[in-house]
Amino acid sequence: MSNIIIILAIFGWAILTYIAFRLNKTLGNIFVGLIAVALPVYYFTYVPEDYSFQVMGLTLQFGFTSFSSLFAILVVILGALTLLYSIPYMNKKDRLGWFYLNFLFSIGGMLGILMSKDFVSLFIFWEIMTWSSYLIVIFSGKKVNKVGVKYMVYSAIGAYAMLMAIVLINKWSGTTNISHFFETFADYSNGAKILSSLLLLTAFAVKSALMPLHVWAPNAYTNSPMSYTSLFSGALSKMGIYGMALVAIMLYTNTGMKFFGEALAWLGAITAVLATFWAVFQTDIRKLLAYSSIGQLGYIAVGLGIGTELGVMAALFLALLHGLFKGILFMAAGAIEYRTGKTDFSELRGLIWKMPVTFFSALVAIIALAGMPPLSGLISKWLIYEALLSSEHYFLIILIFLSSTAAFLYCFHFLYGVFLGQREDDIEDVKEAPALMLVPMVLMSFGLLALGTFPGLIFKHISSSMSYLGFNDVTWEMSVLTNEWGNKIYLTHLNTMFMVVFAVFFVIITLVARKKTRRVGTKDIANAGEPILAEDNYHFSQDFYKPFWRVISPVMKYRIETFYNSFANGIGEFFQFFRRVYTGNGQTYALYVVIFLTILFIVGATLI
Amino acid sequence: MTEELMQQILKISFYGASLALILIGLYGVLTKKNLIKILLSMAIAESGLNLLFVAIGYIMNGTAPIFSTAVLDENNQLLETVTMVDPIPQALVLTAIVIGLGVTAVGLALVIRLYKHHNTINIDEIRNLKW
Amino acid sequence: MVADPILYVALPLLTAFLLPIIGKINKELIRIVPGLLFAFLVYNSIALFSKVSATHTPIIVEIAGWAPPIGINLVYSSFTGFIATIISVLALLVWAYSYKFKKLEFDNSLKYFVLLMLVTAGSIGVILTGDLFNQFVFLEIVALSSYPLVAFYRGRNGAEASFKYLLVGGFASLSILLGIVLIYSQLGTLNMADIAAHIDEMPRNIKIVSFTLLFLGFAIEAEMFPLNGWAPDTYSQAPGPIGAVFAGMTAKAGIYALIRMIYTIFDFSGAFEILLIMGVITLVVSEGIALRQENLKRMLAYSSLGQMGLLMIAFGINTKTAVIAGMLILFNHAVIKSLLFLSSSFLVYNSKDKLIKDAYGMGKKLPLTAILFGIGAFAIVGLPPFSGFWGKLYLLMASADANLLGLIALILAVSVIEIVYYFRVVNGVYFKKSKTEIEVHKPRWNASLAMIILAAAIIVVGIYPNIIYDYLVNAADTLLDKASYISHVLPNLASN
Repeated sequence: MSNIIIILAIFGWAILTYIAFRLNKTLGNIFVGLIAVALPVYYFTYVPEDYSFQVMGLTLQFGFTSFSSLFAILVVILGALTLLYSIPYMNKKDRLGWFYLNFLFSIGGMLGILMSKDFVSLFIFWEIMTWSSYLIVIFSGKKVNKVGVKYMVYSAIGAYAMLMAIVLINKWSGTTNISHFFETFADYSNGAKILSSLLLLTAFAVKSALMPLHVWAPNAYTNSPMSYTSLFSGALSKMGIYGMALVAIMLYTNTGMKFFGEALAWLGAITAVLATFWAVFQTDIRKLLAYSSIGQLGYIAVGLGIGTELGVMAALFLALLHGLFKGILFMAAGAIEYRTGKTDFSELRGLIWKMPVTFFSALVAIIALAGMPPLSGLISKWLIYEALLSSEHYFLIILIFLSSTAAFLYCFHFLYGVFLGQREDDIEDVKEAPALMLVPMVLMSFGLLALGTFPGLIFKHISSSMSYLGFNDVTWEMSVLTNEWGNKIYLTHLNTMFMVVFAVFFVIITLVARKKTRRVGTKDIANAGEPILAEDNYHFSQDFYKPFWRVISPVMKYRIETFYNSFANGIGEFFQFFRRVYTGNGQTYALYVVIFLTILFIVGATLI
Repeated sequence: MTEELMQQILKISFYGASLALILIGLYGVLTKKNLIKILLSMAIAESGLNLLFVAIGYIMNGTAPIFSTAVLDENNQLLETVTMVDPIPQALVLTAIVIGLGVTAVGLALVIRLYKHHNTINIDEIRNLKW
Repeated sequence: MVADPILYVALPLLTAFLLPIIGKINKELIRIVPGLLFAFLVYNSIALFSKVSATHTPIIVEIAGWAPPIGINLVYSSFTGFIATIISVLALLVWAYSYKFKKLEFDNSLKYFVLLMLVTAGSIGVILTGDLFNQFVFLEIVALSSYPLVAFYRGRNGAEASFKYLLVGGFASLSILLGIVLIYSQLGTLNMADIAAHIDEMPRNIKIVSFTLLFLGFAIEAEMFPLNGWAPDTYSQAPGPIGAVFAGMTAKAGIYALIRMIYTIFDFSGAFEILLIMGVITLVVSEGIALRQENLKRMLAYSSLGQMGLLMIAFGINTKTAVIAGMLILFNHAVIKSLLFLSSSFLVYNSKDKLIKDAYGMGKKLPLTAILFGIGAFAIVGLPPFSGFWGKLYLLMASADANLLGLIALILAVSVIEIVYYFRVVNGVYFKKSKTEIEVHKPRWNASLAMIILAAAIIVVGIYPNIIYDYLVNAADTLLDKASYISHVLPNLASN
């Protein structure tokens, strides 16, 4: 069975789902459940086969490569889980058919991108993915222009950069085949090399929210329903990483254009630092997670940018991991929103006993995000540091270190602000989220746990995609990390040790500290010398990291967004002025005709 | 000599007159504020154009381009070779005149409608649609 | 049944003439007969076009038996037939849409349908004719029947828009006629193929002057900046379906005349550059101005001008890929812009000023119309899998082949502007609450059907463009092959 059939089946199923929802909500939900189950089952059992056909004189080719199937696994798993999660999460909303139509279209678009072997079909699926995600971003009907159109405009800038690259590549190489482009890239002139890779990198950087093209991301992530944001941040943004990896690695393995990689790494590092800082000061769970997402994508860009074997491996590993843990975290945020209707830190506290399973999954995800043992985040961080060290990017290490330290702040903020602390009466009757929402979260957290000890589960795929990208086969073992210098870290031992220490520590703390605990009211907090104004509420989330903010605020006040906005306004004003050409007076128009005729005569007499 | 000179003078005066008419019309369309005057100027320019067209097809001492039995003998042979002016411009000019008439008529109807709607026929004051 | 290019022109003119008399028999016939006529024109197109596509030779009709260059002839080739087919299908759809259009009260429908038939006949005539003066006459028929259509509603500012159109259109006809006169005075012929064959016999300066005059006249009809001041007014004041007619038919007639002149009649290579530059200016200025329009119809009109700019760019590049792109954009513009005009006129049906604000909240009240408008908006900005995408892709490929990197960037930047203003409207239609209560008018089934057919065409061509690709290639080949045009029209010329 040919590959393209899957995509068409998904699109067709999307339309059927839409019709089903128009008929009956339960029927529609059954349709969604069916595709959620069928998608992974089908993906993991079918036999891939290449396929190509002619459209408008262009050859479209489809087929998975070992590299793209790495991302396809993420898309399929996360897609299926978020679809399951959506069933209860979206149940109370209207226009569900429309939602799932676009949901499935974006999943289909992503798979289409991954199986495109030529740029035109890549672009087509890229745009399908873009507009379907746009339609979900504006699904709630709030801030449709401010957030939705902004998302669409940035996406369009990216997509059109890609389109420009595509037509130029078509001109230079006579074909739009992706691997042909990479193979012949070394023969291009320098200008062509720089232009095409710059355009492609821009295109992919927009989707992966790399600074300075990230402005759309925080609001778009926040504005769409959480069940979709899981996929959006977890898988859709990875399409940018997918493309970036292809282009970046091709750039400095085939040619001497290493400076692109350096620039990418630096941009990634800056993104990681700044986005993490922004995440620290967010007062909304969703915004926090959105900025954190941008920061994590920055790490990935660093890994890709330095472009050594280790760096790329780290980036790919982190890309997959990020899909899992950010998927969980957005789902957890969605579960909290679903049960309490609140997403602001100042209104949430003490949910740990009310939503223990959510807490557990979020905890696992947070640990993975922060890069602490025994979870897989450690391994990705490890790999990045090692890659940076071995390629002698010492300053980048400082930035990454700064960023991961700051990441602890928001991780703590998230966990503490939402789940810990003393709960108040208004959340007394909050229940744990429905089972169908919990299952995806728990499944993914088990996945994270498993990968933490046995990263070899996924290194198998990463290794084969590394060889597709032109690196030597990566040596990997199921649960042993080997570094450049031949040291081996046995993860099973390490993690068992960590867990034992943690368990012992936990028991001791509980036993010792339990008696000393003093119960206080929620307003009884230390204000750490800060004056509290009357209008402030006394919640502990108020000004959570104020001293830290004081330190870094001078850097943070420069925002590229204001520059973009004034640029857009400038264009608008310019044409506003230009509108006056159309005075409304017919005689003026007649005058234009005469003037134009005169100019034409002059031009004609001199030029023709 | 006189024949050719006459022809030249005639041609030049025809061309000059038609060009003058066109320019007068253009001037009127661009400067007059009265809708009816604008329409009239357009009509003037069109007449100039039609004149030019006819003048181009004109041949000195030519007769009207109509075949009639007057120039044929009983055996349907030509009695004498007659110079006829080029018939095509005349046919075309007829068409152009009809079109010009139509345009003027529609224009005047529009002026009536505009006058009812705006109570003025000053083109500067009829500017509801702009930008 | 017979199928002949002459019927394109003769039948509508005859029916338009007879329609008042037919109306005396039975009033309902006034609405039905035009529909039958347009249906026949569509049949005529299909029959002829399939014949032309199969044989690859144009059908040439000599009117009244006079062979060209003396007689007037109609040339139905893969190129002209393609446009004629689009126009006749569009005419049928516009008829279906306006059949029992509520605002056309019954007495008015006679005038409306007569004018519609005249516009259709004129537009197709412009495209099919092989005679320059005949083309001028058809252009005048188009213009003369457009003026009353623009001023159709008494309540609006239609007369003002119409008068502006008439004023500028008068310049166009003057200038075209003057150009024709100059050509005739030098070559003594009006047949396009004949002129093309003898164009190098013309003195250079007269050739330039006549070229300039014709260029100006046709550029006015093709809505080139800065000659298009009248266009936004007419688009916004004419009845809703007439916006579609202007975008799909009259503008097409203008651009056709322009490219026929540049490609076939004259041999100036610099003309392509002028067309290209003017296209760029038209595109940028119109799309920029559309950015902050408050009036929905006006916004669509400026966007339409922008599309005409794209068309000029495509034909200005003058390569085969570019001409294919041009044909695609022409098709897209006719279909998508018609869909947008038709659906938007229901979105702001009872609003007086047709403001974008008045369409707010229509997503719930008019779900079908709103989604069709949305499809149109998605298609016109060039998102796949809608047909607009292929036009844009081909145009960009053509510009890349011609090494016009700046042009690619410019077209794409303008597309971003397009996204901004179209998506704002679509968002408003779906998500904003309307402040004023405007009575909603639901489209009848016939209007819905017409719009659905257009939307279906957009999607089908978008998903599977191969169904029109061969026709586009044929059309492009036909347009670019000047020698075969001349030899087909004037078979004796080569032997002499």
